[in-house]
Amino acid sequence: MKTKWYFFFLTTIAVSAVIYALLGIQDEESVEIGVLMIGENRYEKFDGLKAGLEDLGYSNKEIQYIVKNANNEEVLLDTQIDELLGSKPDLIVTLGGIETQRLKGKMDARKIKIPVVFAGLAAPKELGLIKDYKAPGGLYTGINNYHASISGKRLEMLTSLVPDIEKVHVIYDSKIDVSELSLKETKASAKTLGVSVFPCDVGTKECMDTLWKSIKKKDAILVLPSFRIETLTDELVKLTQEKKIPSMGLYDFEAEKGLLASYGASFYSQGYQASRFVSLILQGNNPGDLPVELPDGIRFVINQQTKDSLGVTYNEDLLYIADLIHPEVQGGRKR
Amino acid sequence: MKALLEFLYSQTIRNKVLVFGVAMSTIPLLLISLYYYSFVKSDLESRILEKQNLVLENLSREIEFEFNQTFQRIHVLASLNQLNKEKSALYELLQQNASIEEVIVADDKGFVEKRVSRYELNIAGDKEQWFSDEMWFHLQTDDKVFGQVEFNQYGQPVMKLAIPFYENDTKKALGVVVQLQKMIGKISSMRQDNSSYIYLLDEKDRVIAHQDYSKLWQKQSSRERSDEIGVTAKIDDLNWVLVMEQPKTTAFAPINRMLQNGIGAVALVILTVSLISVWAGLYFTRPIVLIDREMNNLKKGRKISPIKMKRTDEFGKLADSFNEMSKELLEKSKLLEQEKERLNVVVNGIGAGLALVTKEYRITWMNPILKGWLKEERLSLPCYAVIGGENAPCLNCPITCPDLGKIADEVMKFKDGANGERIFRHRVFPLNHAIEEEGEYLVVLEDITEQKQMEETMIQTDKLSALGIMASSFAHEVNNPLATINVYAEDLIDRIEARDEDLDEDEMGHYLRKIKENTERCKRITGNLLNFSRKNDWTEDHIKVKEIIENSISLVEHQLKKQRIQLELQVGDALPAILGDGLKLMQVLVNLINNAVDAMESEGRLIVFAERIGEAISIRVTDSGHGIPPEAMDKLFDPFFTTKPIGKGTGLGLSVCYGIIQQFGGNIQVDSNPGEGTTVEIQLTVHESMEVGDNVSNEIVSRGR
Repeated sequence: MKTKWYFFFLTTIAVSAVIYALLGIQDEESVEIGVLMIGENRYEKFDGLKAGLEDLGYSNKEIQYIVKNANNEEVLLDTQIDELLGSKPDLIVTLGGIETQRLKGKMDARKIKIPVVFAGLAAPKELGLIKDYKAPGGLYTGINNYHASISGKRLEMLTSLVPDIEKVHVIYDSKIDVSELSLKETKASAKTLGVSVFPCDVGTKECMDTLWKSIKKKDAILVLPSFRIETLTDELVKLTQEKKIPSMGLYDFEAEKGLLASYGASFYSQGYQASRFVSLILQGNNPGDLPVELPDGIRFVINQQTKDSLGVTYNEDLLYIADLIHPEVQGGRKR
Repeated sequence: MKALLEFLYSQTIRNKVLVFGVAMSTIPLLLISLYYYSFVKSDLESRILEKQNLVLENLSREIEFEFNQTFQRIHVLASLNQLNKEKSALYELLQQNASIEEVIVADDKGFVEKRVSRYELNIAGDKEQWFSDEMWFHLQTDDKVFGQVEFNQYGQPVMKLAIPFYENDTKKALGVVVQLQKMIGKISSMRQDNSSYIYLLDEKDRVIAHQDYSKLWQKQSSRERSDEIGVTAKIDDLNWVLVMEQPKTTAFAPINRMLQNGIGAVALVILTVSLISVWAGLYFTRPIVLIDREMNNLKKGRKISPIKMKRTDEFGKLADSFNEMSKELLEKSKLLEQEKERLNVVVNGIGAGLALVTKEYRITWMNPILKGWLKEERLSLPCYAVIGGENAPCLNCPITCPDLGKIADEVMKFKDGANGERIFRHRVFPLNHAIEEEGEYLVVLEDITEQKQMEETMIQTDKLSALGIMASSFAHEVNNPLATINVYAEDLIDRIEARDEDLDEDEMGHYLRKIKENTERCKRITGNLLNFSRKNDWTEDHIKVKEIIENSISLVEHQLKKQRIQLELQVGDALPAILGDGLKLMQVLVNLINNAVDAMESEGRLIVFAERIGEAISIRVTDSGHGIPPEAMDKLFDPFFTTKPIGKGTGLGLSVCYGIIQQFGGNIQVDSNPGEGTTVEIQLTVHESMEVGDNVSNEIVSRGR
């Protein structure tokens, strides 16, 4: 009888210890990160994000990405957002302004609380995403790519690069708030710089037609932030090349496609920089406590091919500091 | 601990084996685990510190390099002395260092002369003061100046760096705004293992970079904390301190987790080993437990069953031995019970009183018969007081004289109250295997009163028988002197009546003396007869053998003469006296001579021979009679056995002789050759104190006369 009790006692202790030990074995759960993009051209930000997280020490096994791409269709974007929210990711990274604004609308409506990192958008405060740059509050933080505030600087860069410019056509999108803000900034700077600017709203059909018709030598084009404008890059390149017009884009891909120059944070670097926010949130920080950052770097890119083809005089100082792309064509340097 | 040890000692062997097995399977494993746990823990701590040092060293070098490089570039720019021309040099600085937000050149008053900005328009304000007072102050003496960490309009942490330079003998300043967010972001967001974190303190101990952004800009000390493992690295120029810390709870989490997992494994191992130990313990102790159980049953007299074990080892053999032993024990117990029963019957039915006596004469046990005799159980008194009523131990008691080497055999008399005086034979036997204090001697008391009475009766009967046989002889013996007296008396009367003148006093005296002699002879004969026929108890005295022989012969003398038997008496004078009853010895001799006379019938030769042989006196009575047939030899001493014709013998003679000689402590042997004669030899022991025969009394002889 005593032996039976002994066995019972011993087995109970052993089983308890084994259960205790099994509780100690915890599988490292992978983190689900939702990635929301309006179109294919934002993919570079995603690449940057992945590379950044990898450099910060996150392995692919630890992070599972749920990528939603709206293929530049705003209607599809809403559906994609619904799907993304349905899958309840731990964190969402938006790759642009429009994605962030639409996501906020949906999340506010459905009272969903998921941290959101915007991997580069212009004027988040003005768009009502954050309360303050230093302490954003709420669920949103990320990178202010400065593309609204930098619009004046870009105008200065464009006119400094090609001193002969007399008139600058500013292409904006009235349906995009950031674009409007950028226009406002541009106009203010134009006044300071004494440059004539002519806004052109891509939301209207006449904009491009007018440009095709009215643009002439010593005119220049300044592109303001808007995903819609981004989709028009090829047409703008065609216009500037045919009319031999200097143009200033935001992103290096625009210069790469054929615009004369671009001045802004690159998609890749914004994505890379956003990885820091992702890491901080995964490590337990509240997104509302993480100050919104400016881009780590603003890239000034000049397409050497376009530069050579325009036949205008350039400011050599600026040419010197610019990153020349397509250097293989006529020689040059790459940063 | 002592109580635990005592508790363990008091346990059964099975429990001890089980405890031993479990302890031996558990303790080494736990000790090894403990050793590895402590070893791994200290090893892990040193590795963590090593890693933290490495990380901080790299980071601090990176930060120092960043600032040094920026200053180096500013210095180069200032030394090139191209700042008065275009802004290309300033643009180049922006191009070279992505962290620089803007570059300015200030005049000797500190107002901005030129500006190249990455985000803003390159327009210098009117009398725009770029330097703080502190910076400007330091700039007057130092060759490089750091500003405070501050925030730009977008809330970004920035820092101003500046150096003085001379342009056309005018002291000017070149300043840059450096963005810190990349550096801070890198420090903050750098993923650390196991919840370790890095933070950066500026010269005012403000946290300017921390993984936990809620701690930013708070004041914090970099001193060591006991619940953290951490290292610090100082960045000298900036007076910044990089701190890397990790809570011990999480630092040791892997080994704690390992321990937790290990506990399961250890528990499983302990369970397995314990089960094996328990099985082995039970396997080894089961035979012992079984044997113990059966042993207890055996001890308590319960029914036991044989231990069945299919083992050939020592335990198997032990079990077999136990089975055999218990079987044998049971059989022997049964036999013992039977023996005991028999013994009880014997002890209670033997008619003898038995008692166990210790060396101190204390009675420890007595059987019911003895108790009945003694009427009380006075066990506290010594045996001699209880049984014999004596005040001292009996003579020749083996308890007193263990060296005697013989069994005491004494006859004693004492009153038992109801039946008056009774005679008991009292014997004491030493017990060789007795338990000390339980009684080392067995005292046997036999009531021989009836036996003694019977023997006395037999002796008396035999004596009367002899007297009857000898009656005519006695008559003749008495008749002769009486006839002589008569003759003398008549002759004397006649001569007196005849007034014989010749009858003088001398002759008358002669006549009277003759009458007196013959009268005395008659008296002696009748006295002998009376003495012989007297019924008496055993009276021990020193007796002279020769006289006894002579007295005996005198009783049968007439018979011998009558039958013309030639008597040859060969008895030495120097025979020592012996201890015993002379009358009884006489009865023996008379019996033997009568038997000889009967055997010879008429004419023959009777030899009575006595001599000393060593420590004994041998008396032989030899006749030349018809002898005894061999078939009768074995029955000679049986009572009522006789070869004589009816009416001539009672068959008690030799039997009585045997009894008397036994009482003397001697022995009697008969040697006979049919047709030639018979010799009966009596051997009587001489006591040393009786060596001088002349000095002993001769009461019996004198009494017989």
